[in-house]
Amino acid sequence: MPDMVPMSVAQPQERQFNPYSDNGGTILAVAGANFSVIAGDTRQSEGYSIQTRYAPKVFRLTDKAVLAVNGFAADGNMFVKKVKQRLEWYRHAHSKDMPLRAVARLIQSMLYARRFFPYYVYNILGGIEEDGSGAVYSFDPVGSYEREACRAAGAASSLVQPFLDNQIYFKNQTPAPGTSHPAHLALTDVLALVIDSFTSATERHIEVGDGLEMYVVLAKGSPLQGLELVQGVQEMSTTTDGERVFIVRRNLKRD
Amino acid sequence: MNTFADRFSTTGALAELRKAQKAADEEEFSDAMWGSEAGFGSLAKGVPTFSVPNIPDPTAFLRLHTDDHADPTCKIKISHGTTTLAFRFQGGVIVAVDSRATAGSYVASGTVKKVIEINPYLLGTMAGGAADCQYWETYLGMHCRLHELRNRERISVSAASKYLSNLVYSYKGMGLSMGTMICGWDKTGPAVFYVDSDGTRLKGDLFSVGSGSTFAYGVLDQGYRWDLTDEEAQELGRRSIYAAGHRDAFSGNTCNLYHVKEDGWKFIGNYDISKMHYDGPGNVLGATGGGYGYELRVEGLSSANPPVAAQA
Amino acid sequence: MENLFAITGKGYVIVAADTTSARSIVKMKVDEDKIKVLSPHLLMAYSGEPGDTIQFSEYVERNIRLFQIRNTYPLGPSAAASWIRRSLAESLRSRKPYAVNLLLGGYDTNKHEPHLFWVDYLGTMTEVPFAAHGYGSYFVLSLLDRYHNPEASLEEGLATLKRCIAEVTKRVVVSPGQYKVKVVDKDGAREIEI
Repeated sequence: MPDMVPMSVAQPQERQFNPYSDNGGTILAVAGANFSVIAGDTRQSEGYSIQTRYAPKVFRLTDKAVLAVNGFAADGNMFVKKVKQRLEWYRHAHSKDMPLRAVARLIQSMLYARRFFPYYVYNILGGIEEDGSGAVYSFDPVGSYEREACRAAGAASSLVQPFLDNQIYFKNQTPAPGTSHPAHLALTDVLALVIDSFTSATERHIEVGDGLEMYVVLAKGSPLQGLELVQGVQEMSTTTDGERVFIVRRNLKRD
Repeated sequence: MNTFADRFSTTGALAELRKAQKAADEEEFSDAMWGSEAGFGSLAKGVPTFSVPNIPDPTAFLRLHTDDHADPTCKIKISHGTTTLAFRFQGGVIVAVDSRATAGSYVASGTVKKVIEINPYLLGTMAGGAADCQYWETYLGMHCRLHELRNRERISVSAASKYLSNLVYSYKGMGLSMGTMICGWDKTGPAVFYVDSDGTRLKGDLFSVGSGSTFAYGVLDQGYRWDLTDEEAQELGRRSIYAAGHRDAFSGNTCNLYHVKEDGWKFIGNYDISKMHYDGPGNVLGATGGGYGYELRVEGLSSANPPVAAQA
Repeated sequence: MENLFAITGKGYVIVAADTTSARSIVKMKVDEDKIKVLSPHLLMAYSGEPGDTIQFSEYVERNIRLFQIRNTYPLGPSAAASWIRRSLAESLRSRKPYAVNLLLGGYDTNKHEPHLFWVDYLGTMTEVPFAAHGYGSYFVLSLLDRYHNPEASLEEGLATLKRCIAEVTKRVVVSPGQYKVKVVDKDGAREIEI
């Protein structure tokens, strides 16, 4: 019986150390000309059991930056907490919000600082760049990152990404003669694609479902672009004269 | 026995990391973190610190959870599979890379920037761990700038590559994975150095790194001459990456091409590998016109050799 | 490591194989012929598990010869290739399979066409314009995508083969020193010095 060993002769013993788990779910983000949409489902599961039907994976960091985290929920929540803390310190030191490209680099250094004990988290950062353009940055668990126009990550990424490639990058599509594909999609079109992505992923992936949260970040001075007509939209931003953040919630199938 | 020795030794990388972690636990955030210096912290304090799991063998822990060769079901996928090449010639240095990142057999990205622009005179290439290359080559860029400020002159390619080599060597055995070429132009002219995470550093004229490197070498070696013109050299770089993208499943999507000359590097272009197969690289310098694809090149040709009488 | 290469051209197939026979770290022989002439217009280069290679290639050689004795005419290249592939596939499903990789180069005297078949030890077969086995294939396949010409004269074909051998000698760590080269065309099979 190990408990019976006297403390004085107790030696360090190595046991199977597995601090990781996979909590399923999927996130995605799409950048528009002057907006960015960041979305994630709200199911949290482990194996075949659903732990909760509402665990947010998408978080507002500032009025111009929204972060989606996917993978191991405990690591993800801790990571978001630490990023928020660092952004708050930045605000105290500089009296302004950190620019998006700087947030991206900060996330890289925070992830890489755990190179030898990684956060098991796939991050997607969406928001508005200093030049007013919509941006999406995607990260691997140890911090390599890239700016993209759209990205899906998590359990159903291999189902959703090809759909996005086809509908947003127009991959493997040829425009009708005399026409060309638009460089950027309208906000309402993007929201429709995001909803379709998640309803489809819910149909074909057991770890996706329950609820959908879509954050929309609008560039400073941008019109609402039809967002005001979207059912149930809520504003999350602190001011209305800078970049603005909105949230749209939808139900997904719960089986 | 080794793990036992590691645990109680006071020197070596492991002990250093342990010390670093202890320091970090006591004062988790340096003053620098309050400001804008991000995770790099104060450079005066040297290399940034890393968290390490508090277990006897942190390296085995990392391997257990990240090595998809040993265990394809492991949770943390680190992207692998690449073709990169760089060569020196009369007109400078050509750097060409593919843009595919794979996680197992899934194409995680087809738009990866595998050339890291360290500064206007230095380029680094990315093969192996994407984050390792991106992070340490960015870090190298900061030190190259400090060298300029301290010494009022640009760092040589040799010195920059040696800095990186020494840095990754100090982490040897900890699981870093990089195979990179540091390319640039300094007082000595065009220069290419191969640096990897084993600690190897080689000066040379021509290198290719990654899973598709053998296929790139097949085309590159046969077309390489010192006195290539700029156009011929760019075409050779493109053609070699195409060859690798075509033959190696872990390489592909697009080719990014850079040319380093005396006044620094220049981005030449991004070329779709499928387009190169069917239509060629487009109207660019050095292109001979038409697709690179074998089937296109030999279309209408036949190895049949009927006697003249039989033809009639 | 063993390397086999083959290239088709205008009315011929060139087959090349390295000539080393290695056991552990020792080169036991440096002039081994790994290309069998199976019939007047058929060549077979082989590599793989020592012992299996000899046993299987001689089995094939004798049976192709037997067919010719019984039927006066030899099997054509594709018929011979099919029979050889089937033999390998049946062996694979036996208690002790042959681990032998093959390149089959033949000339069809009726249609005046060269044929080249790439066959591996699992019984995978495909007809190709050029082929390679061994580590050399990783360098040579991209090279041949670039330089192979189906209408090349024998001289041009040999020049391309020399490029392949030079590339492998330059880049592969344990590359064999010498190669035996055989060609098959309308005049039959013969060895060529390079």
